[in-house]
Amino acid sequence: MIRRLIASLILLSLSFPALSDLMRYELRVDGLACPYCAYGIEKKIKALEGVNKDSLEIKLNKGLVIFEADTDSPLTEQSMKTLINDAGFTLRQYKVLSINSREKPE
Amino acid sequence: MRSDENILTKWGLPVVALFLTGTTSAHDPVFGVGPHVLYKDGIEIHAGAHQEKSDERTTESEFELKYGITGDWAIGAGISYISSDSHDGTEKGRGPSKLFTKYRFWREDTFAAQESAAIFGQVIFDDGENNHHNVKREDNDYLLGLAYGYEGRKWYRWASVRHRFNADAEGGIERPDVWKVDLVGGIRFTPSEYQEPDWVWMLDLNGEIFEHVSQPNKQLGGEQWFSSPGLMWTYRNVALKAGVQFSISDNLSSDQKGDDYRTLIEFEWHL
Repeated sequence: MIRRLIASLILLSLSFPALSDLMRYELRVDGLACPYCAYGIEKKIKALEGVNKDSLEIKLNKGLVIFEADTDSPLTEQSMKTLINDAGFTLRQYKVLSINSREKPE
Repeated sequence: MRSDENILTKWGLPVVALFLTGTTSAHDPVFGVGPHVLYKDGIEIHAGAHQEKSDERTTESEFELKYGITGDWAIGAGISYISSDSHDGTEKGRGPSKLFTKYRFWREDTFAAQESAAIFGQVIFDDGENNHHNVKREDNDYLLGLAYGYEGRKWYRWASVRHRFNADAEGGIERPDVWKVDLVGGIRFTPSEYQEPDWVWMLDLNGEIFEHVSQPNKQLGGEQWFSSPGLMWTYRNVALKAGVQFSISDNLSSDQKGDDYRTLIEFEWHL
């Protein structure tokens, strides 16, 4: 009986699609003075897997970089710090918000 | 007197001044050098042309590729084509090729502003077909420099100093080394956003100081100063830069002729 129950639970869990979060990232970036130089940030963020390319906003006058990404695990602050530094700037603040939990087809 | 000496005197100032650009990048001044480099793994395609007018008119077209090794270190290579118009006619040919690098060793990022400093170097190879006014070099020339820059949403300021080590001309004739200093201010009247066309207006003060070299019957050396209005237009990953250098002061050896003016236009594309 217990074996049947466990097997049923396993089958049931496999039948569910994987869950992933659509996250909104807000990065406060220092050094953002010129739009031409900020292109490196656009290029590097758009190269990340799961990033909604249309969602990317670079707000120079507010020093903000905003984008949405649908990844299995959230992009870490350390990875964002490295990315921003490689683009030639400094990550000052990292904020991530879960927009919703939605199903990601397997 | 050897003909080479006449030639050396004739080109004295313009030729050693040529190719003093080549390590500029992105939001750097038009004629000076700033500390900007490329983002890591970035590629820059750079095409430009500049013209110098003295007794002769020299036009150089150049093509450069740059690569960002890190977010603070870039390398590049360039080729050029030179056309020289003089009383003796027009000479055209491939100019010297060059390799260059720039390393931003200090960067201070604050809200909407960046202040930084970089060192840079360049090798100008002795491989051109057209060697500017027919003066052939015996070896490569080298350039070393230091650049500082402050970039804000509205105001810009840069300062740089460069030293070009010139190899002797063919026949062992000494060419003067050159110090070059640049002080530049810039303003963005409208603080545009990322996806908008962006305009930055600049004004350079450029000085060129030539070491004194004594030739038989000739003296080379002195200094010349330029005032240089310039403009930079960018849109996302594309940039256009243009400027004019006007001579405002010179204290050159009587055997040398300085440039009356220089013009420059450059196109950059970041990939």
